[in-house]
Amino acid sequence: MNIQDNYQKNKKNIFFSKNKDVQNHREKLINIFKNDRFDKKNNESLKNVNLKNFLDFKYKYLVPEETSVINNNNDNTYSIVSVNGQCSNFKDDKIEITKIVEEDYNDFSKNNTIANNDHFVNLNSLFLNCGFKIIIKKNNNIKIKISNIITDDDLTIFQKNNFICEEGSSLNLIEEYENKNNSTLNILNVIKLEKNSQLNHFLIQDNSPNHNLIITSHSSCKKDSTYIQKVYNFSEGYVRNFHFSELIEINSEADLQGIFFLKDNNISNNKTFVKHLAEDCKSNQVYKGILNDRSTATYFSNTHVDQVAQKTEGYQLSKGILLSENASYFSKPELKIYADDVKCSHGSTIGPIDENAIFYLRSRGMSKIAATKILISSFINEELSSIDNDQMSEIIQKKIVRYLSKVK
Amino acid sequence: MFLEINDLSVKIENKNILKNLNLNINKGEVHAIMGPNGSGKSTLANVLAGKEDYEILNGKINFKDNDLFDLNIEERAQEGMFLAFQYPVEIPGVNITPFLHSAINSKKKRMNEDEIDNLSFAKLLKSKASDLGINIDMLKRSVNTGFSGGEKKRYEILQMSILNPDLAILDETDSGLDIDALKIVTDGVNKLKTKDNSFLIITHYQKLLDYIKPDFVHVMVNGSIVKSGGSEIAAEIEKDGFQKFQ
Repeated sequence: MNIQDNYQKNKKNIFFSKNKDVQNHREKLINIFKNDRFDKKNNESLKNVNLKNFLDFKYKYLVPEETSVINNNNDNTYSIVSVNGQCSNFKDDKIEITKIVEEDYNDFSKNNTIANNDHFVNLNSLFLNCGFKIIIKKNNNIKIKISNIITDDDLTIFQKNNFICEEGSSLNLIEEYENKNNSTLNILNVIKLEKNSQLNHFLIQDNSPNHNLIITSHSSCKKDSTYIQKVYNFSEGYVRNFHFSELIEINSEADLQGIFFLKDNNISNNKTFVKHLAEDCKSNQVYKGILNDRSTATYFSNTHVDQVAQKTEGYQLSKGILLSENASYFSKPELKIYADDVKCSHGSTIGPIDENAIFYLRSRGMSKIAATKILISSFINEELSSIDNDQMSEIIQKKIVRYLSKVK
Repeated sequence: MFLEINDLSVKIENKNILKNLNLNINKGEVHAIMGPNGSGKSTLANVLAGKEDYEILNGKINFKDNDLFDLNIEERAQEGMFLAFQYPVEIPGVNITPFLHSAINSKKKRMNEDEIDNLSFAKLLKSKASDLGINIDMLKRSVNTGFSGGEKKRYEILQMSILNPDLAILDETDSGLDIDALKIVTDGVNKLKTKDNSFLIITHYQKLLDYIKPDFVHVMVNGSIVKSGGSEIAAEIEKDGFQKFQ
């Protein structure tokens, strides 16, 4: 079934399909799908993707029987269980959680300047069937853990979440994606940081082989705000991490980091993109990958510095270890600079594990496998030692041990 | 015989490096190999330690009644062979202390000895580091990372003193050392010498041999040992160079 028929058949179950503005936007999207010849060479959203699987899909969504759970632990810590992308409404003096509404959809579809050519974001907008909005109120310091649960096989979840950190607020957000069923979750997080706010965003991804996770985020940072995102991908299924940041006001920062651990025939596509649109802003984009067996990864990083964005500091780094001759990692850093007073750099290093280091460690009595594991651990040591949350650190360490136990 | 090399020929990337080399080392002996650049000295050290880049064309090596070629790299280390590297490898993110602790315990495990616990190891490491004038803060760093040339060589000797090998191969340990560092490193080696262990010292210069007295000196040229004798050979090389042996 083509996209248009699929949409028409299911539109009564899709969010906001009666809204005129939404309808107009979706017609444009359908036309893009109808007219696009799917330029796999130049469109980064199509690399390593079996388009047929993603475009010719059987739409299925179930409104969860069990409602989501929101626990306020009274110490500014909230835990949320989102079921099939749904979350109950909640409100106290620090946070407010509501379902997304038409305005949220239109706000993103009109203002999104980065992800225009992204077919997966377009699919998300077209088939949107769930999502919620979380507002962190002014000057509050909050911790939230969200477990994203998918209940059944063969579900196609198209979810859009909005996170708004009001002025002076600080949010420590942990999102867990650990699903064992044969489903697809296409999720778009739209994040707004108001003046002098901070969001530390951790994403732990550990899905089973038949679960597809397509996650996109779009963050915008106002004056003196900071967005830090750390992705830990241990999934055995397909994962796409595309993350965009716009530094729209002076002295704002975006730090987009990721580590992925691949084996078997895993595929992981990654992209980070930071647009510097104001003076004195900083960005950092660092992805590291460990690839075994026949796994495949891509990483596109991009720093765009507008002509007004003087005194920009932008840094990009991509590093990969290939544990097998059959694994592959394609990395492409890009810089587009239109201002003249900037400090920017990019680098990429991908290769097999250092044989000289292995020889050195073995010559001291360490087995080859122990030497390999110690070198993998050291490769990501900097990122792991920077996790200042003990619980998170323990979770990540356990998953690394599990991955390493399968390295032969 | 402790180490017995018979008729060893080795090549790498279609280039023959060692050619029918013979060398015997007994327990408690210190042997020095001197030779010009490219004569195959480091190849010999690497082949003994088990580096896998080389193709063994012919020959045999026996080490402590084992056929050395039956042992992989780590088994050779666990059996008591130690190579002090000419260019120690920097390994960022691997902390010195747990690495060395793991190394000594892998050896003890092979020897069916009790493993050394954290506290005892920390004491041992601190005392050996102090003997070599190594600052305790250095032990908190990653292996060889950001070390000066002298620090790297001192750290090699520290590892050697912790692992207490039966056969230590020192591959140009004197290169890049100033006179004070050379003294510290050679003092460390001399402290380790007993009647039960042996040393194979590879060097270009006699200077090192002023501090570590060898029982035998061998001249290696073009992949073979062309002359063997006592300390007088080192003096001869210092005076006339390697030209006359080529």
